[in-house]
Amino acid sequence: MPSIIKLHAISGAQDESPPCYLLQVDEFRFLLDCGWDEKFNPNFIKELKRYAGQIDAVLLSFPDQQHLGALPYMVGKCGLSCPIYATIPVYKMGQMFMYDLYQSRTNMEEFDIFSLDDVDAAFDKIIQLKYNQTITLKGKGYGLTITPLPAGHMIGGTMWKVVKMGEEDIVYAIDFNHKKERHLNGCDLEKLARPSLLITDAANCMNEQERRRVRDEKLMTNILQTLRKGGNVLIAVDTAGRVLEISHMLDQLWRNKESGLMAYSVVLLNNVSYNVVEFAKSQIEWMSDKLMKTFEGARNNPFQFKHIQLCHSISELNKVPSPKVVLASSPDMESGFSRDLFVQWCSNPLNSIIVTRRTTPGTLARILIEKETSPFTIPLEVKKRVPLEGAELDAYLRSEKGKSLSNIKSEEYSSDESDNEMEQVALGKHDLVVKQEVKTKTGFFKSNKKQFPMYPFYEEKIKYDEYGEIVRPEDYKMTDLTLEAEEEVVNKENVQVKEEEMPAVDINEVPTKCVTTVRNLHVAAMIRFIDFEGRSDGSSLNKIVAQLKPHRLLIVKGNPESIQFMANYCRKSTDAKVLTPKTGDVVDATTETHIYQVKLTDALLSSLEFKKIKDAEIAWLDSKLAQKEVDEVIYSEDVTMSESVLGAEIPTLEPVKDLSLSHHATFINKLRLSDFMVVVKKAGYHCEFSGGILQCCNGTIALRKLESGTVTMEGCISPEYYQIRDLLYSQYAIV
Amino acid sequence: MATKVKVESTLPAEESDLLSIRPLGAGQEVGRSCIMLEFKGKKIMLDCGIHPGLSGMDALPFVDLVEADEIDLLLISHFHLDHCGALPWFLQKTSFKGRCFMTHATKAIYRWLLSDYIKVSNIATEQMLYTEADLESSMDKIETINFHEEKDVMGVKFWAYNAGHVLGAAMFMIEIAGVKILYTGDFSRQEDRHLMAAEIPNVHPDVLITESTYGTHVHEKREERESRFTSLVNSIVTRGGRCLIPVFALGRAQELLLILDEYWSQHPELHDVPIYYASSLAKKCMAVYQTYVNAMNDKIKNQIAVSNPFVFKHISNLKGIDHFEDVGPCVVMASPGMMQSGLSRELFESWCSDHKNGVIIAGYCVEGTLAKMILSEPEEITTMAGQKVPLKMSVDYISFSAHTDYQQTRDFIKILKPPHIVLVHGEQNEMNRLKTALIREFEVDPKNKMQIYNPRNTVAVELYFRGEKTAKVMGTLAVEPPKPGNILSGILVKRNFNYLLLDPGDLGRYSDMVISQVVQRQSMHYNGPINLLQHILTQLAGPVESLEDKKLRIFGCIDLTLVDKCVTLEWIASPVNDMYADTVLAAVLQAESVEDVPKSMPSTPTKMDRMHFKECLMEMLQDMFGEDSVPKIFKGDKLHVTVDGKKADIDLEHMVVLCEEDELLQQVVQTAVSKLYNSLSPPKVDTSL
Repeated sequence: MPSIIKLHAISGAQDESPPCYLLQVDEFRFLLDCGWDEKFNPNFIKELKRYAGQIDAVLLSFPDQQHLGALPYMVGKCGLSCPIYATIPVYKMGQMFMYDLYQSRTNMEEFDIFSLDDVDAAFDKIIQLKYNQTITLKGKGYGLTITPLPAGHMIGGTMWKVVKMGEEDIVYAIDFNHKKERHLNGCDLEKLARPSLLITDAANCMNEQERRRVRDEKLMTNILQTLRKGGNVLIAVDTAGRVLEISHMLDQLWRNKESGLMAYSVVLLNNVSYNVVEFAKSQIEWMSDKLMKTFEGARNNPFQFKHIQLCHSISELNKVPSPKVVLASSPDMESGFSRDLFVQWCSNPLNSIIVTRRTTPGTLARILIEKETSPFTIPLEVKKRVPLEGAELDAYLRSEKGKSLSNIKSEEYSSDESDNEMEQVALGKHDLVVKQEVKTKTGFFKSNKKQFPMYPFYEEKIKYDEYGEIVRPEDYKMTDLTLEAEEEVVNKENVQVKEEEMPAVDINEVPTKCVTTVRNLHVAAMIRFIDFEGRSDGSSLNKIVAQLKPHRLLIVKGNPESIQFMANYCRKSTDAKVLTPKTGDVVDATTETHIYQVKLTDALLSSLEFKKIKDAEIAWLDSKLAQKEVDEVIYSEDVTMSESVLGAEIPTLEPVKDLSLSHHATFINKLRLSDFMVVVKKAGYHCEFSGGILQCCNGTIALRKLESGTVTMEGCISPEYYQIRDLLYSQYAIV
Repeated sequence: MATKVKVESTLPAEESDLLSIRPLGAGQEVGRSCIMLEFKGKKIMLDCGIHPGLSGMDALPFVDLVEADEIDLLLISHFHLDHCGALPWFLQKTSFKGRCFMTHATKAIYRWLLSDYIKVSNIATEQMLYTEADLESSMDKIETINFHEEKDVMGVKFWAYNAGHVLGAAMFMIEIAGVKILYTGDFSRQEDRHLMAAEIPNVHPDVLITESTYGTHVHEKREERESRFTSLVNSIVTRGGRCLIPVFALGRAQELLLILDEYWSQHPELHDVPIYYASSLAKKCMAVYQTYVNAMNDKIKNQIAVSNPFVFKHISNLKGIDHFEDVGPCVVMASPGMMQSGLSRELFESWCSDHKNGVIIAGYCVEGTLAKMILSEPEEITTMAGQKVPLKMSVDYISFSAHTDYQQTRDFIKILKPPHIVLVHGEQNEMNRLKTALIREFEVDPKNKMQIYNPRNTVAVELYFRGEKTAKVMGTLAVEPPKPGNILSGILVKRNFNYLLLDPGDLGRYSDMVISQVVQRQSMHYNGPINLLQHILTQLAGPVESLEDKKLRIFGCIDLTLVDKCVTLEWIASPVNDMYADTVLAAVLQAESVEDVPKSMPSTPTKMDRMHFKECLMEMLQDMFGEDSVPKIFKGDKLHVTVDGKKADIDLEHMVVLCEEDELLQQVVQTAVSKLYNSLSPPKVDTSL
């Protein structure tokens, strides 16, 4: 009985909006990714909200906003309560993405789409998986299994394989990367061959990538030129995904003594940079074979950066000597430090700004890509959070007084606690502590020679409670920029705690307001787009899809032209049925595959003559469906539920005695004449190729391959003819 | 049914139902773990360790009993020498060409642990099993597997569970053709300071291969044993003695360090007493402990983001005995754990004659090692140099080894309910005790049919699993729902124990196999005329189709063309067609050899002469049954024959004989009639093939 498969494209179909699809397999509804665009477009969320109660499981592919951005909102505000499946890195890094996004947004505007509570609530629902770990669903999803497979692109990136027991296998693979990168392996296509339904995207279908070396050199030259001129480089990257690839590459470049980069600074700037790097360090097993091998061999962790400095705020960044290279989030430059720095730096022609990915049309980064030739002027909304002053402050304080009386208790509790903690910690810059720790790591043990205390731990003891490292607010006092609220939360992020009251408390303590001004920015800095997206490019994408030979292909995401291009390519090169839904469409992808299971008796199997072909064996089978009977031989009582339930209804095949059954012989295998030539030569016959024809035994026998795949063998009658024929037959499995 | 038995016996290995589990090491002993699994033609080796009490080739498991090149898969449970010590030798010095897997952390530590082992082994170089270079190159042959990640090697599916015990220790669940085997390696169900308790698989294995190191012992509670340990250390150093703790460099040592470091920071009065950890190896592997936190317990996972619990505040590293100033009380942790040689042995020998000093054996000791020997508190011991020295220092034994104890094993089994349990990795007596205790424990439950085995080394446990073989019927063949009695014919594709039944036309759709066609064209000289050829062929094959000028089709599948005294045969290759082609070829050669070609060919009858047949039939029946058996004259297609008063009716139109009185007669006449008909009728070929 074929399953009913439907896909509802809530967002991300025939355009570049974030992916969000509702996949229905019989009764079970999967939500495939739950992305939100950079500007939090409310339209499709309205649509998605309606299904919040019906979703049975969410599958996440990547940790960025594009793939899980709407999750906190859905869980926190719409009551999505089903289990969410993701790999460990997607879980960890996804949290970082969301914290960073929340923080960046809060720094510039009143942000209430979701709170940090929502983020934690959403991530608490995640069931963390490893690659190739098969999860059997229960209840409504009985008979369904899901398996995450490596997809490249970002750490923990996943292609999902959903299998309906014994029949359908659905593969959901978007934004994957088949190429090996510095820190990641390419996606694993081997396990995907011939899915009954492949859901993929064509977003990158019309783009051709430069070769990796050319691209890297371009980045390198750009950086060097700008730095030598005395300008700063801003590289807009994401929080915890592609940034790993770029930062690892930059750190390696800086290590190279001949590069001449040692004199300059390189900074990783986002609200959670310390944690991102720490998590990266403990996820070596998810990275490329090469990194793993170096780690096993030399024990140096590739994310133990030697040159990259970690910063969490603009004021920290200002302390780093210029000229410098700054990797700042977010890649779209709609929010975060990359936007702040852009505003600061864009007018200086010495600076250069590098965009690393094509973000959604309309975002600042995309506008820059499309212009690319500076100088030009663009109007830009500059949002800022500033402390209240004068009359405004008074009014605010008055109104707050009443409110605060009611919830004074809880506030006291939290502020008391943090006060105590603060007192215990000695003065010092937070980052220094972090660095100290980094250094002492090589010293696993206390220094042996006490008389030369190299690492004065006693003074620098790091205290922590169950929430993590204790926060010292002095560390974050800023001298130049006084964005109090921001600092507080930066601290919070640093120590990765789960107390969400803090930002609220902060706003109470230091009243701030958000101001928005539209400024016409004169952009004089050099703007470059260097593709660090790390996704399979056009030609390979088509090849991969054609190679997977899906029975059905569902193309989502990507502009209409590229989808059309890919659809045409696949219609031509495979026998797949291609579906291209628009946003909002519900497409029926039910396959009319006929399938059922049968039991094979030993008597039947032993009567077969198996022929080997590659890794499989084949045989011709004539059999009769047996009358139903109670099968008494069950080898153990502990066969899993599924097996025993199925076993009840499986018919049995028995051998047939009737000799009148006959069939045409079938030759199986694809012969390549060049391979066959080797075989012939090995058998001691003379043979050579001429004009696509394989001539054997002094030209008395000729073999050629027609376009239809048919091999013809021609020759005079001779003993050799029969010998060569035997060799030819041995290349096939004949049943 | 006799044939059936014969069929069973000729079943190839991959179809057999026999699962054999053979310990090549660790069978009724501790050390050199190495267990062979054989099922359905697949051979799997579990662990490949060395015996710590033996050296050189003697320390190896009995691998000479198996063919290394036939082994498909080798799984290493964790990095202890008795589980992976022989691996470089096995990978580099034997013909093994299968695949080898271990977890990430195990692989990272394995590299440094074995390199250390090579350095400290005090045996002559010619006896060394492998060198540093062998170890280095063995790294490339080892693949890694993450916990819970499913791998498939030629149809053998396997995945790993956390086993506790040491960092990266894994239990392997192996599934071959639906039969699941769980190999625990060394495991512990007790969570400790940095490791999680062994996971309980959510699938029930059919066979459980479990360690039995501690037999029926029950460990004391973690808190008790920790406080006993710390107070013992405290009392030794406060009485002015030196405290020696021989430990295995990695694994339990990290746990002890965490305990000591915490104890020291809580007791400022002890700060003057130094704690040394003499292991460069542990220092080397620090990065590994920092990285693979995902394999540790939740406490560490949460803590590592804040500060590293493996940065010790009161423990100093000791490079070697040369750097050690032996003045006053101290605590020294030194490897190896069983004091076979190395630093722990040296320190022990120099300290053992002072009663103030103390040694604490904190782990499991194998028979034949010094550590095991001193537990029986002998008066004197023999040093490595051969001298006899009195043993006066206090000897204590506190087990910190994270092996399962009786309670844990019993509970583990209760949950998993495996029908078969194979005990390995335990001394003979302990194993027997455990076996008896388990049998007694589970015999109360009448539903339980648990079998427990404790094989000796090289002795195989043989179990039979009647695995069910199911095939998926797909595509055209499956259009009609299965009905009893239906005939199914198609191609059965077998890959990795999965069967797929397909119509040949669907092969390309549902598998990566391609159906091909081979066309053959044979040519030879022929001087004779075409009509002679045609005549001979017609005699042979019945009607010959004339396609076009000088082109004939014989048997409906062989095309013959005669051009310029050259005959060309063309046909689509298949066993039957090839046979026809050979026949035609023979006919051509025969025609060639006819010297006097008659001017005109006698026309070959293409139609049956029915009158002639009737005459012949009468004659034959008269010959068979006597003159009077058949009527002299008959009309139409009905005839009857009378023998001994029984009458058989013959229907000549349908060639059917009917005799209700005597079945035997009916058969005899039927055979005679059909044979006669066939011999008289012109050749006819069933061209449906």
